[in-house]
Amino acid sequence: MKAPTLTDAGLAGRVALVTGGSRGIGRAIVETLAAAGMTVAFTYRENSAAASEVVAAGPPSAIFADAVDVRDSQSCAAFVEKVVERTERIDLLVNNAGVIRDNTLGLLQDDDLKVVLDTNVAGAFNMTRAVVPYMISARQGKVITITSVSGEKGGRGQTNYAASKGALNSFTCSLAVELAPRGITVNAVAPGVIETELSRAVREQAPEQVQSRILLRRFGQPEEVAYAVWFLASKYADYITGEILHVDGGFKME
Amino acid sequence: MNDINISKNEILALFPKVAETVADAVGCETEKVKLESSLIEDLGAESIDFVDIVFRLQRLFKVKIPHGKIVEQARGSLSEAEFEKAGVVSEAGVTRLRTFLSEVPPERFKLPLKVADIPRLFTVETFCKLVIRQQRATAATATPQAA
Repeated sequence: MKAPTLTDAGLAGRVALVTGGSRGIGRAIVETLAAAGMTVAFTYRENSAAASEVVAAGPPSAIFADAVDVRDSQSCAAFVEKVVERTERIDLLVNNAGVIRDNTLGLLQDDDLKVVLDTNVAGAFNMTRAVVPYMISARQGKVITITSVSGEKGGRGQTNYAASKGALNSFTCSLAVELAPRGITVNAVAPGVIETELSRAVREQAPEQVQSRILLRRFGQPEEVAYAVWFLASKYADYITGEILHVDGGFKME
Repeated sequence: MNDINISKNEILALFPKVAETVADAVGCETEKVKLESSLIEDLGAESIDFVDIVFRLQRLFKVKIPHGKIVEQARGSLSEAEFEKAGVVSEAGVTRLRTFLSEVPPERFKLPLKVADIPRLFTVETFCKLVIRQQRATAATATPQAA
Protein backbone atom coordinates (compact mmCIF):
# COMPACT_ATOMS: atom_id res chain seq x y z
CA MET A 1 0.00 0.00 0.00
CA LYS A 2 1.28 3.41 -0.99
CA ALA A 3 1.91 5.66 1.97
CA PRO A 4 -0.31 8.76 2.12
CA THR A 5 1.35 12.06 1.30
CA LEU A 6 0.11 15.56 2.04
CA THR A 7 -1.13 16.06 -1.51
CA ASP A 8 -3.05 12.84 -2.09
CA ALA A 9 -5.41 13.22 0.83
CA GLY A 10 -8.38 14.36 -1.27
CA LEU A 11 -7.90 17.97 -0.23
CA ALA A 12 -6.66 19.49 -3.50
CA GLY A 13 -9.06 22.06 -4.89
CA ARG A 14 -11.04 22.25 -1.66
CA VAL A 15 -11.46 25.26 0.58
CA ALA A 16 -10.56 25.65 4.25
CA LEU A 17 -11.33 28.45 6.67
CA VAL A 18 -8.96 28.66 9.63
CA THR A 19 -9.44 31.09 12.50
CA GLY A 20 -6.34 32.62 14.09
CA GLY A 21 -3.98 31.68 11.28
CA SER A 22 -1.21 34.23 11.50
CA ARG A 23 0.87 32.67 14.24
CA GLY A 24 1.71 29.50 16.14
CA ILE A 25 -0.40 26.41 15.58
CA GLY A 26 -2.84 28.27 13.31
CA ARG A 27 -0.06 29.32 10.97
CA ALA A 28 1.25 25.74 10.76
CA ILE A 29 -2.27 24.55 9.97
CA VAL A 30 -2.70 27.15 7.21
CA GLU A 31 0.65 26.25 5.67
CA THR A 32 0.03 22.50 5.86
CA LEU A 33 -3.43 22.70 4.32
CA ALA A 34 -2.15 24.96 1.55
CA ALA A 35 0.67 22.47 0.92
CA ALA A 36 -1.99 19.77 0.64
CA GLY A 37 -3.53 21.73 -2.24
CA MET A 38 -6.32 23.56 -0.42
CA THR A 39 -7.30 27.18 -0.84
CA VAL A 40 -7.09 28.59 2.68
CA ALA A 41 -8.84 31.64 4.07
CA PHE A 42 -7.76 32.61 7.55
CA THR A 43 -8.60 35.20 10.13
CA TYR A 44 -6.22 37.05 12.39
CA ARG A 45 -6.86 39.48 15.20
CA GLU A 46 -4.13 42.12 15.16
CA ASN A 47 -0.89 41.04 13.63
CA SER A 48 -1.33 42.04 9.99
CA ALA A 49 2.42 41.87 9.32
CA ALA A 50 2.52 38.23 10.41
CA ALA A 51 -0.65 37.52 8.40
CA SER A 52 0.85 39.05 5.25
CA GLU A 53 3.92 36.91 5.71
CA VAL A 54 1.81 33.73 5.83
CA VAL A 55 -0.13 34.80 2.72
CA ALA A 56 3.07 35.63 0.83
CA ALA A 57 4.74 32.34 1.76
CA GLY A 58 1.90 30.26 0.30
CA PRO A 59 1.40 29.12 -3.28
CA PRO A 60 0.13 31.99 -5.51
CA SER A 61 -3.44 33.01 -4.58
CA ALA A 62 -3.89 29.91 -2.40
CA ILE A 63 -4.01 31.80 0.88
CA PHE A 64 -5.89 34.94 1.85
CA ALA A 65 -6.59 36.57 5.17
CA ASP A 66 -8.69 39.18 6.91
CA ALA A 67 -8.70 40.79 10.34
CA VAL A 68 -11.76 39.37 12.12
CA ASP A 69 -12.70 39.45 15.77
CA VAL A 70 -14.31 36.02 16.20
CA ARG A 71 -16.15 37.34 19.28
CA ASP A 72 -18.37 39.29 16.93
CA SER A 73 -20.88 37.02 15.19
CA GLN A 74 -21.63 39.53 12.45
CA SER A 75 -17.97 39.87 11.53
CA CYS A 76 -17.74 36.08 11.33
CA ALA A 77 -20.80 35.92 9.06
CA ALA A 78 -19.40 38.70 6.85
CA PHE A 79 -16.06 36.94 6.52
CA VAL A 80 -17.72 33.64 5.61
CA GLU A 81 -19.79 35.40 2.94
CA LYS A 82 -16.67 37.00 1.56
CA VAL A 83 -14.87 33.66 1.42
CA VAL A 84 -17.78 31.98 -0.36
CA GLU A 85 -18.04 34.86 -2.83
CA ARG A 86 -14.46 34.17 -3.78
CA THR A 87 -14.32 30.36 -3.54
CA GLU A 88 -17.99 29.32 -3.85
CA ARG A 89 -17.59 26.69 -1.14
CA ILE A 90 -16.16 25.88 2.27
CA ASP A 91 -15.19 22.27 2.84
CA LEU A 92 -13.32 22.58 6.10
CA LEU A 93 -13.53 24.84 9.12
CA VAL A 94 -10.72 24.85 11.65
CA ASN A 95 -11.65 26.69 14.83
CA ASN A 96 -8.22 27.58 16.10
CA ALA A 97 -8.39 31.16 17.37
CA GLY A 98 -7.74 31.21 21.07
CA VAL A 99 -6.32 33.31 23.85
CA ILE A 100 -4.85 32.53 27.23
CA ARG A 101 -5.07 34.61 30.43
CA ASP A 102 -3.63 32.34 33.10
CA ASN A 103 -3.84 33.12 36.78
CA THR A 104 -4.95 31.39 39.93
CA LEU A 105 -8.64 31.78 40.59
CA GLY A 106 -8.36 34.43 43.28
CA LEU A 107 -6.32 36.67 41.02
CA LEU A 108 -8.39 36.26 37.87
CA GLN A 109 -10.19 39.42 36.87
CA ASP A 110 -13.67 39.50 35.33
CA ASP A 111 -12.10 40.41 32.04
CA ASP A 112 -9.74 37.41 32.14
CA LEU A 113 -12.75 35.13 32.20
CA LYS A 114 -14.75 37.10 29.67
CA VAL A 115 -12.04 37.46 27.04
CA VAL A 116 -11.07 33.79 27.23
CA LEU A 117 -14.63 32.44 27.06
CA ASP A 118 -15.77 34.94 24.45
CA THR A 119 -12.83 34.27 22.15
CA ASN A 120 -12.31 30.56 22.61
CA VAL A 121 -15.89 29.37 23.05
CA ALA A 122 -18.21 32.01 21.58
CA GLY A 123 -15.70 32.53 18.75
CA ALA A 124 -15.99 28.88 17.73
CA PHE A 125 -19.79 29.06 18.00
CA ASN A 126 -19.91 32.21 15.87
CA MET A 127 -17.75 30.93 13.07
CA THR A 128 -19.24 27.44 13.05
CA ARG A 129 -22.79 28.81 12.92
CA ALA A 130 -21.85 30.93 9.94
CA VAL A 131 -20.10 28.13 8.04
CA VAL A 132 -22.28 25.11 8.77
CA PRO A 133 -25.28 26.08 6.59
CA TYR A 134 -23.00 25.90 3.54
CA MET A 135 -21.90 22.43 4.60
CA ILE A 136 -25.44 21.25 5.36
CA SER A 137 -26.53 22.47 1.98
CA ALA A 138 -23.61 20.67 0.31
CA ARG A 139 -24.20 17.55 2.42
CA GLN A 140 -20.50 17.36 3.20
CA GLY A 141 -17.87 19.13 5.23
CA LYS A 142 -15.55 18.84 8.18
CA VAL A 143 -15.28 20.90 11.33
CA ILE A 144 -12.13 20.60 13.42
CA THR A 145 -11.69 22.52 16.64
CA ILE A 146 -8.38 23.01 18.38
CA THR A 147 -8.96 22.36 22.06
CA SER A 148 -6.25 21.55 24.60
CA VAL A 149 -4.99 18.94 26.97
CA SER A 150 -6.06 21.36 29.69
CA GLY A 151 -9.69 20.72 28.71
CA GLU A 152 -9.36 17.35 30.40
CA LYS A 153 -6.35 17.58 32.68
CA GLY A 154 -6.22 20.00 35.56
CA GLY A 155 -3.60 22.71 35.44
CA ARG A 156 -2.78 25.36 38.03
CA GLY A 157 -3.79 28.85 36.96
CA GLN A 158 -5.88 27.64 34.06
CA THR A 159 -9.44 27.53 35.37
CA ASN A 160 -10.67 29.96 32.72
CA TYR A 161 -8.66 28.50 29.84
CA ALA A 162 -9.42 24.91 30.88
CA ALA A 163 -13.13 25.70 31.16
CA SER A 164 -13.09 27.14 27.65
CA LYS A 165 -11.28 24.14 26.18
CA GLY A 166 -13.44 21.64 28.06
CA ALA A 167 -16.44 23.44 26.64
CA LEU A 168 -15.03 23.06 23.14
CA ASN A 169 -14.58 19.31 23.63
CA SER A 170 -18.24 19.05 24.62
CA PHE A 171 -19.20 21.35 21.75
CA THR A 172 -17.41 18.94 19.39
CA CYS A 173 -19.28 15.89 20.66
CA SER A 174 -22.72 17.51 20.48
CA LEU A 175 -22.15 19.06 17.09
CA ALA A 176 -20.95 15.69 15.76
CA VAL A 177 -24.33 14.24 16.74
CA GLU A 178 -26.23 17.11 15.14
CA LEU A 179 -24.38 17.12 11.85
CA ALA A 180 -23.74 13.43 11.22
CA PRO A 181 -27.08 12.98 9.41
CA ARG A 182 -25.93 15.58 6.91
CA GLY A 183 -22.59 13.90 6.19
CA ILE A 184 -20.51 16.39 8.14
CA THR A 185 -17.83 15.18 10.53
CA VAL A 186 -16.87 17.12 13.64
CA ASN A 187 -13.67 16.45 15.54
CA ALA A 188 -11.19 18.11 17.86
CA VAL A 189 -7.44 18.13 18.16
CA ALA A 190 -6.20 18.60 21.71
CA PRO A 191 -2.60 19.77 21.75
CA GLY A 192 -0.37 19.53 24.80
CA VAL A 193 2.45 22.00 25.37
CA ILE A 194 3.46 23.20 21.91
CA GLU A 195 6.33 25.59 21.27
CA THR A 196 4.40 28.74 20.43
CA GLU A 197 4.11 32.26 21.75
CA LEU A 198 0.90 31.31 23.56
CA SER A 199 2.57 28.66 25.70
CA ARG A 200 5.77 30.58 26.31
CA ALA A 201 4.92 31.49 29.91
CA VAL A 202 4.09 27.89 30.81
CA ARG A 203 7.23 26.58 29.13
CA GLU A 204 9.59 29.13 30.56
CA GLN A 205 8.27 29.05 34.11
CA ALA A 206 9.66 25.62 34.92
CA PRO A 207 10.63 23.82 31.72
CA GLU A 208 12.05 20.73 33.34
CA GLN A 209 9.13 20.32 35.67
CA VAL A 210 6.69 20.62 32.78
CA GLN A 211 8.66 18.28 30.54
CA SER A 212 8.87 15.70 33.31
CA ARG A 213 5.07 15.44 33.09
CA ILE A 214 5.20 14.68 29.35
CA LEU A 215 5.81 11.03 28.50
CA LEU A 216 7.92 11.92 25.46
CA ARG A 217 9.91 14.44 27.55
CA ARG A 218 9.76 17.27 25.03
CA PHE A 219 7.44 20.02 23.88
CA GLY A 220 5.53 19.61 20.65
CA GLN A 221 6.00 21.55 17.43
CA PRO A 222 3.16 23.43 15.70
CA GLU A 223 3.58 21.21 12.62
CA GLU A 224 2.85 18.14 14.71
CA VAL A 225 -0.58 19.56 15.53
CA ALA A 226 -1.09 20.64 11.91
CA TYR A 227 -0.50 17.09 10.65
CA ALA A 228 -3.24 15.82 12.98
CA VAL A 229 -5.58 18.46 11.54
CA TRP A 230 -4.54 17.45 8.02
CA PHE A 231 -5.34 13.83 8.85
CA LEU A 232 -8.78 14.59 10.25
CA ALA A 233 -9.49 16.83 7.25
CA SER A 234 -8.35 14.21 4.77
CA LYS A 235 -10.25 11.39 3.11
CA TYR A 236 -8.41 9.01 5.43
CA ALA A 237 -10.55 10.22 8.30
CA ASP A 238 -13.94 10.12 6.57
CA TYR A 239 -15.22 7.58 9.12
CA ILE A 240 -14.09 9.51 12.19
CA THR A 241 -16.45 11.88 13.97
CA GLY A 242 -16.93 13.09 17.54
CA GLU A 243 -13.29 12.28 18.26
CA ILE A 244 -10.80 14.23 20.33
CA LEU A 245 -7.34 13.49 18.98
CA HIS A 246 -4.63 14.25 21.53
CA VAL A 247 -1.32 15.55 20.24
CA ASP A 248 0.45 15.97 23.53
CA GLY A 249 3.37 13.57 23.75
CA GLY A 250 1.44 11.59 26.33
CA PHE A 251 0.94 14.57 28.64
CA LYS A 252 -2.54 13.55 29.65
CA MET A 253 -1.32 10.07 30.71
CA GLU A 254 1.09 11.26 33.37
CA MET B 1 -47.98 41.18 9.74
CA ASN B 2 -50.77 41.32 7.22
CA ASP B 3 -51.33 38.34 5.08
CA ILE B 4 -54.20 40.27 3.54
CA ASN B 5 -51.55 42.12 1.62
CA ILE B 6 -50.02 38.97 0.22
CA SER B 7 -52.13 37.65 -2.64
CA LYS B 8 -52.56 34.01 -3.51
CA ASN B 9 -51.12 34.76 -6.94
CA GLU B 10 -47.91 36.07 -5.42
CA ILE B 11 -47.65 32.94 -3.34
CA LEU B 12 -48.35 30.66 -6.30
CA ALA B 13 -45.77 32.47 -8.39
CA LEU B 14 -43.11 31.69 -5.82
CA PHE B 15 -44.29 28.19 -4.99
CA PRO B 16 -42.45 26.13 -7.66
CA LYS B 17 -39.03 27.44 -6.61
CA VAL B 18 -39.80 27.15 -2.90
CA ALA B 19 -41.12 23.60 -3.41
CA GLU B 20 -37.95 22.63 -5.22
CA THR B 21 -35.84 24.14 -2.44
CA VAL B 22 -37.79 22.34 0.26
CA ALA B 23 -37.57 19.04 -1.65
CA ASP B 24 -33.80 19.41 -2.03
CA ALA B 25 -33.36 20.20 1.65
CA VAL B 26 -35.51 17.42 3.08
CA GLY B 27 -34.55 14.95 0.35
CA CYS B 28 -37.93 14.14 -1.17
CA GLU B 29 -39.53 14.34 -4.63
CA THR B 30 -40.65 17.84 -5.60
CA GLU B 31 -44.09 16.44 -6.51
CA LYS B 32 -44.60 15.46 -2.88
CA VAL B 33 -44.29 19.08 -1.77
CA LYS B 34 -47.66 20.84 -1.76
CA LEU B 35 -48.40 24.39 -0.74
CA GLU B 36 -50.26 23.13 2.33
CA SER B 37 -47.69 20.46 3.30
CA SER B 38 -46.50 20.75 6.87
CA LEU B 39 -42.72 20.65 6.81
CA ILE B 40 -42.38 18.44 9.87
CA GLU B 41 -45.59 16.42 9.86
CA ASP B 42 -45.94 15.76 6.13
CA LEU B 43 -42.42 16.02 4.77
CA GLY B 44 -40.48 14.67 7.75
CA ALA B 45 -38.27 17.74 8.09
CA GLU B 46 -36.06 17.97 11.17
CA SER B 47 -35.00 21.22 12.81
CA ILE B 48 -31.65 21.10 10.99
CA ASP B 49 -33.58 21.09 7.69
CA PHE B 50 -35.06 24.48 8.61
CA VAL B 51 -31.53 25.88 8.75
CA ASP B 52 -30.93 24.41 5.31
CA ILE B 53 -34.23 25.62 3.83
CA VAL B 54 -33.77 29.17 5.13
CA PHE B 55 -30.16 29.20 3.93
CA ARG B 56 -31.17 28.03 0.45
CA LEU B 57 -34.06 30.51 0.25
CA GLN B 58 -31.77 33.37 1.25
CA ARG B 59 -29.38 32.55 -1.54
CA LEU B 60 -32.02 31.81 -4.14
CA PHE B 61 -34.09 34.93 -3.55
CA LYS B 62 -31.25 37.17 -2.36
CA VAL B 63 -33.00 38.09 0.87
CA LYS B 64 -31.83 38.11 4.46
CA ILE B 65 -33.84 35.94 6.82
CA PRO B 66 -32.55 36.34 10.37
CA HIS B 67 -32.89 33.40 12.73
CA GLY B 68 -36.34 33.24 14.36
CA LYS B 69 -37.83 35.71 11.89
CA ILE B 70 -41.18 33.92 11.47
CA VAL B 71 -41.94 33.88 15.18
CA GLU B 72 -40.69 37.46 15.55
CA GLN B 73 -43.00 38.64 12.75
CA ALA B 74 -45.88 36.62 14.19
CA ARG B 75 -45.37 38.19 17.61
CA GLY B 76 -45.63 41.63 16.03
CA SER B 77 -46.28 44.31 18.63
CA LEU B 78 -46.72 41.83 21.50
CA SER B 79 -43.85 41.81 23.95
CA GLU B 80 -42.17 38.48 24.65
CA ALA B 81 -43.88 38.34 28.03
CA GLU B 82 -47.27 38.91 26.40
CA PHE B 83 -46.56 36.30 23.76
CA GLU B 84 -45.38 33.45 25.97
CA LYS B 85 -44.95 32.37 29.54
CA ALA B 86 -42.46 29.66 30.53
CA GLY B 87 -42.25 28.36 26.99
CA VAL B 88 -46.01 28.17 26.41
CA VAL B 89 -47.70 30.56 23.99
CA SER B 90 -50.29 32.78 25.68
CA GLU B 91 -53.90 33.13 24.54
CA ALA B 92 -53.08 36.44 22.89
CA GLY B 93 -50.07 34.82 21.27
CA VAL B 94 -52.15 31.96 19.86
CA THR B 95 -54.68 34.44 18.45
CA ARG B 96 -51.83 36.30 16.81
CA LEU B 97 -50.35 33.09 15.40
CA ARG B 98 -53.72 31.96 13.98
CA THR B 99 -53.96 35.20 12.00
CA PHE B 100 -50.32 35.28 11.00
CA LEU B 101 -50.24 31.62 10.00
CA SER B 102 -53.63 31.80 8.29
CA GLU B 103 -52.53 29.03 5.93
CA VAL B 104 -52.42 26.54 8.82
CA PRO B 105 -55.74 24.73 9.36
CA PRO B 106 -57.28 25.72 12.74
CA GLU B 107 -57.39 22.13 13.99
CA ARG B 108 -53.60 21.97 13.86
CA PHE B 109 -53.31 24.54 16.68
CA LYS B 110 -53.32 22.14 19.60
CA LEU B 111 -53.40 23.84 22.98
CA PRO B 112 -51.41 24.37 25.10
CA LEU B 113 -48.98 25.35 22.35
CA LYS B 114 -45.30 25.32 23.28
CA VAL B 115 -43.04 27.90 21.65
CA ALA B 116 -40.69 25.08 20.66
CA ASP B 117 -43.57 23.45 18.76
CA ILE B 118 -44.46 26.49 16.64
CA PRO B 119 -42.28 25.24 13.75
CA ARG B 120 -44.47 22.12 13.63
CA LEU B 121 -47.19 24.37 12.26
CA PHE B 122 -45.16 25.75 9.37
CA THR B 123 -46.23 24.79 5.89
CA VAL B 124 -44.60 25.40 2.54
CA GLU B 125 -46.88 28.43 2.17
CA THR B 126 -45.44 29.82 5.41
CA PHE B 127 -42.04 29.93 3.72
CA CYS B 128 -43.46 31.46 0.53
CA LYS B 129 -44.98 34.25 2.63
CA LEU B 130 -41.73 34.68 4.56
CA VAL B 131 -39.79 35.21 1.34
CA ILE B 132 -42.37 37.68 0.02
CA ARG B 133 -42.23 39.70 3.27
CA GLN B 134 -38.44 39.76 3.22
CA GLN B 135 -38.40 40.73 -0.47
CA ARG B 136 -40.67 43.65 0.36
CA ALA B 137 -38.53 44.64 3.33
CA THR B 138 -35.44 44.56 1.13
CA ALA B 139 -37.14 46.62 -1.58
CA ALA B 140 -38.35 49.13 1.03
CA THR B 141 -34.84 49.71 2.38
CA ALA B 142 -33.35 49.86 -1.12
CA THR B 143 -35.82 52.48 -2.38
CA PRO B 144 -34.56 55.99 -1.72
CA GLN B 145 -37.01 57.96 0.35
CA ALA B 146 -38.19 61.32 -0.89
CA ALA B 147 -36.77 64.14 1.16
